[in-house]
Amino acid sequence: MPTPMRPLSLLALLFSSVLLVAAEDGAQVYNSLCVACHGPDGKGLNGLPPLVGSDWPKGPAARSIKIVLSGLEGPVDVAGKTYNIVMPPQGAVLSDEKIAAALTYVRKNFANGAGAVTPDEVKAVRAATAQRVTPWTADELLKAHPFPPAKTALKNLVGTMYKGEWKVMPDFSTLKPAMMEDFNVGVIDPAQSGLKEYYAMVWTAQFEAPEDGKYTFFFDCDDFGALYVGGERIAEVKGIGPVGGRAKEVPVILKKGLTPLRVEYVQYGTNSAIVLAYKGPKDKDTKLLSKTKGGKAGKPAKEKVFIPIQPKDGVAAIYRNFIDKITPRAIGIGFPNGLNIAYSADNVAAELFWNGKFMDGGHHWTDRGAGNEPPAGTNVIKLSDGQGILLEGSAGSVVRFIREKDAKDWKFSAVNVAAEFKGYDLDKAGNPTFRSAGEGFALSDAWLPEASSGKATLTRTLKVTGAKSIVVVLARDLAVSGPSDGVAEIAGGLLVRAVSGPAPKTNANDKSLTLTLKPGETAVLGYSFR
Amino acid sequence: MKKLSLILALAGLAAAASAAPAKAAKAPKAGKMATADIKLSEARQDEFYERVEIPTPAGEVAEVSSIALLPGKKVAIGTRRGDIWVAEGAYAADLSKIKWTKFASNQHEPLGMFWKDGSMYAMQRPEFTRLTDRDGDGRADSFDTVSSQWGVSGDYHEYAFGSDPDKNGDVWMVLCLTGSFHAHAPWRGWCARITPDGKFVPTTSGIRSPGGIGANDKGDMFYTDNQGVWNGSSSLKWLRPGSFQGNPTGNKSAALANFPAPPEPTSGSRILTERLKYPEFVPPSVILPHGKVGNSPSGIACDMTKGKFGPWESQMMIGEQTASQVQRINLEFVNGLYQGAVFHFLGGFEAGLIPVRMDQEDGTLFVGGSNRGWGSRGSKPFTFERVRFKGKVPFEMHDISAKNDGFEVTFTHPVDAAAAADVANYTMDTFTYIYQSSYGSPEVDQTEPKIKSATVSADGLKVKLAVEGLVRGHIHHLVVGDLKSKSGDTLWHNEGWYTLNEIPAAK
Repeated sequence: MPTPMRPLSLLALLFSSVLLVAAEDGAQVYNSLCVACHGPDGKGLNGLPPLVGSDWPKGPAARSIKIVLSGLEGPVDVAGKTYNIVMPPQGAVLSDEKIAAALTYVRKNFANGAGAVTPDEVKAVRAATAQRVTPWTADELLKAHPFPPAKTALKNLVGTMYKGEWKVMPDFSTLKPAMMEDFNVGVIDPAQSGLKEYYAMVWTAQFEAPEDGKYTFFFDCDDFGALYVGGERIAEVKGIGPVGGRAKEVPVILKKGLTPLRVEYVQYGTNSAIVLAYKGPKDKDTKLLSKTKGGKAGKPAKEKVFIPIQPKDGVAAIYRNFIDKITPRAIGIGFPNGLNIAYSADNVAAELFWNGKFMDGGHHWTDRGAGNEPPAGTNVIKLSDGQGILLEGSAGSVVRFIREKDAKDWKFSAVNVAAEFKGYDLDKAGNPTFRSAGEGFALSDAWLPEASSGKATLTRTLKVTGAKSIVVVLARDLAVSGPSDGVAEIAGGLLVRAVSGPAPKTNANDKSLTLTLKPGETAVLGYSFR
Repeated sequence: MKKLSLILALAGLAAAASAAPAKAAKAPKAGKMATADIKLSEARQDEFYERVEIPTPAGEVAEVSSIALLPGKKVAIGTRRGDIWVAEGAYAADLSKIKWTKFASNQHEPLGMFWKDGSMYAMQRPEFTRLTDRDGDGRADSFDTVSSQWGVSGDYHEYAFGSDPDKNGDVWMVLCLTGSFHAHAPWRGWCARITPDGKFVPTTSGIRSPGGIGANDKGDMFYTDNQGVWNGSSSLKWLRPGSFQGNPTGNKSAALANFPAPPEPTSGSRILTERLKYPEFVPPSVILPHGKVGNSPSGIACDMTKGKFGPWESQMMIGEQTASQVQRINLEFVNGLYQGAVFHFLGGFEAGLIPVRMDQEDGTLFVGGSNRGWGSRGSKPFTFERVRFKGKVPFEMHDISAKNDGFEVTFTHPVDAAAAADVANYTMDTFTYIYQSSYGSPEVDQTEPKIKSATVSADGLKVKLAVEGLVRGHIHHLVVGDLKSKSGDTLWHNEGWYTLNEIPAAK
């Protein structure tokens, strides 16, 4: 009797779905799925991001819903700390009702009572983002759902823009403004100019000091600018260059109340940035007045941990991890005489050379260690890119799988190269001999530190065995000069001296320095900085 | 680690049971891993097993990522920072005398290490390496690259896990994808073998995010794969050569070796549906239901101790990163596929577990781990521990075996026959997951089979459950109620999850 049953079953269905909705308990969802990372109290566990004190769960519900549905990956600033991890998407696992319940629980308990989230809101966002297959990035989310502007100490902020090219500070009283606008956000941002290159901007505002006392201002910019407080120029960044090295820190005594503040700024070329911040008499942390953080201004981007890796007791240090500006299969060696190399096992080539500090393990050895770590020292020279061993007249017969990116995706292929990496030996002092081989030959490449002449030198001994001649690429795509008196100079500072055996040759065509070794030959080279 | 795999497992470890199928609610203690249950079972652990923290090298951050056994009762650990240390005295009653010697420094995150013919072998991120101490000073001085044929893009997530050598001397490796969603370098998302002479032999496609790799007693190789895209839940998978393991992200590498294109399955389907379409698709042997059994399985050790570790000969011990536990799995081979049941087993470890290593001669289980980057129930940043069987066999379901018309449960001690024959003492529910390109899946297609009868064997060790409503492809969750052993013991753990890939033919 289907007909009479229908209304009843429809009713039953409605009833049960209502029950289902009512039954979703946000605390239960949170405590079964979210708690492992965000913690029972929302403060984050094991170094994972907190919800308490975070702006992320507050404000528009759509932002939080998107994160739960599709996840979040890449760098994200939460409560003053930068995290770089992945929040796994839960959209395929949780119903609209469960997500709404969990978010309502989070917003009520960990986000100062931000409003409840309804299943309909989740449903709408789910439908609108149905095509989204990868997690969001923080930038994407903040572009769509920005945090509300914080109230800053800058009142009545007005920006005036001037178009033109200046290498020194112009006299603004003689210039004609191209644009003038109020910026009630109280935050200084070069993007307010609407331009990316060749302009100047002047901001005026009232700085509101909450009490009498010492206020320390931090100021930096790319390219140059000046900061005026109370009508007086207290800081100036001169010249063309990026933020970082020229930052100024100036204390000023202010009375409680409003004080005029003025920023003059010139962008010569591209890469605009201004950092402006202050610390008042009762402030624990620096307070940002600009969009850009940097240097001492604003909160630190990350609580960076330094774990120096360095030679010890005269024994060289090794570092095998992802080093910046070299292929992923990198082997870094830090020698006791202050010279360092990084060898690419992919390219069978010594590709980086630098002096000073060797490496900092703080990056790879904390959190998940995403990304590359640059050498910790100075004068980093990228000697070459690509294969370090070549054969004359042949690509070689060693098959390697490689990757290349076209406009859309990574493409893989098998290629023939001359040599492959076979490993390395370490002597008692940790000095390496790298080994490589191809069809019909083997090469050993030994590095030893010397300091006898007073100038730190690495002696490199290259020895080929077998029946083939090979070409070792010592440098490529670099300014190479010489050799004169047996010494070639690379990148204006690194000297390569032929000590014995075949000498390196420069090649103007590909700006390279190469060494041809016949079967059984040994070449000894000395590397030092000028 | 953890999955290393993984992306953070969110997890529910301590899960209260929001996800429990509503239908199971009447079960005696229906299947969730309530926090109280975990504490209870861990409290009883001391009756049967001794868990001891082994002091790690003083002042070092020893985030254990590999464990190898050396001659002379030495034990080596590899760490996520890349150091390799060798311990003397890790078996001793008095661990305060343990002596650590550094064998190598700053290698690249070794995940799989063993000792063979006087050398240490380590599966590192960029290469498989033989490390040898030629001058006998206790430190490796020769580092031979045995193979480095796979692609490495520089992404932190591209973990490489290596096995012990198989009977041919081949070492098997599983290569995690780039992040969770991509294959940005050759052979990401593949299993490959490395022969003793260094040949790289791609072996299966379809890998997502491994947490460990190891063979069973027959020499067949398995790995754990973590919940995520195309993995509705984590599972233990069998690496049958030539197979597809379910995740098509890395398929494009097949062309590099002129292999046939692996399957491009349909998202939103079921594993059973798709694997019947594609014979090379080997389904997970045992699914580890997410949030109930764990969240991120890791290392694998088969118990071949002949009873020294308890009555679990041939069973697989699986590490669990998020929950800081070891789970126990019994496998059987039905219609050409592996399947079986997973049970909760050991817990309370101090950090997220990564490697699991059994000393088969002596019955000591070594485990280690870290919680860097991925949260874990164990709250220490890193740990190295050992577990030994104390000699008292817990009253447990020893294994669950599929029959044509139900399941046979074998217990470790004879059961109280009257209670064991009462069908009211068993509850079963089944479910599966959506097989999809999205991350994870809810439990779906729930059913509630009916237990028609429970027949106790003459020796009291086996109970045959006649079940109406077996569902091929589903996880069958069995909860045992108020059942005591003949001598009055209560069950240490009272539930198991059997993945019924195949229903055996009637005998």
